[in-house]
Amino acid sequence: MDAHIRKVYVPMTETGFYILLCLRETMHGYGIVQKVEALTQGEIKLSPGTMYGSLSKMEKDGLIRFVREEDKRKFYCITDLGNQVLELEMKRIERLYRTMTEVENNEK
Amino acid sequence: MKNEQVKYRFFTIFQYKQEEEFLRQQHNNGWRFTKLNALICYRFEKCEPQDVVYQLDYNPDGIAHKAEYVQMFRDCGWEYLQDYVGYSYFRKPTSEMNGDEEIFSDDSSRDDLMKQVINRRVRFLPLIAIFLCIIIPQIFFQSQFGGLYGKIFTGVFMALGILYLIIFLLSIFRDENNH
Repeated sequence: MDAHIRKVYVPMTETGFYILLCLRETMHGYGIVQKVEALTQGEIKLSPGTMYGSLSKMEKDGLIRFVREEDKRKFYCITDLGNQVLELEMKRIERLYRTMTEVENNEK
Repeated sequence: MKNEQVKYRFFTIFQYKQEEEFLRQQHNNGWRFTKLNALICYRFEKCEPQDVVYQLDYNPDGIAHKAEYVQMFRDCGWEYLQDYVGYSYFRKPTSEMNGDEEIFSDDSSRDDLMKQVINRRVRFLPLIAIFLCIIIPQIFFQSQFGGLYGKIFTGVFMALGILYLIIFLLSIFRDENNH
């Protein structure tokens, strides 16, 4: 993974993270919006402008790849590079969560 | 009672927020936006007053792949209206929203939008600066000198001036054509 990818994607936006998390299965952009809405009990509704922009950027950077098109909807899935970035992000978030809990517990 | 209304407003490319607010206000007053042309000419038709959010996106890549781009917005409940000089216009009634909704859910993608606007519009600034500060004064300056050299330099700078005009016209034409 080159420095540029690391700099741009670690840490990444919430939309970017959900895209990579969902694209471990092949799906289209709106599919991701729906899945995230279901996963978060409707709390997070990704917006189309952000979604479209993130998908094109991630495709260009090789984190996801185009699979097929159906009814004017593009299906994507994650690449090896995307998986590496996702793993880094997950580790970072885990660490963040651990630190947060430790600090909280210490204050009690 | 007229069913159509035309309003003349000028918004710069950086004032898309104000433009969105203007269109929302109009819809709240019972005037539905139908078309923008001639840069400043906003057309409306009479409708039931309704709170409808208008949003502008600037996405050359989206315009190049219009079908999928518009489909994504439509799936999310945004009606696509038109493209105009690089901006795409969308709207969605607040009655169909759960709380506030915008077409950008985070600031960094909104910043990307502004970067694209700036990259595409401001890349001409150095050219314009050279044109105004060097070429035009030189045409004037060189033509003050008589003799062969004066004529040659005037000719050279005139040719450069014409070349520049052609570049401007071609870029503007290409830009308009893309949208």
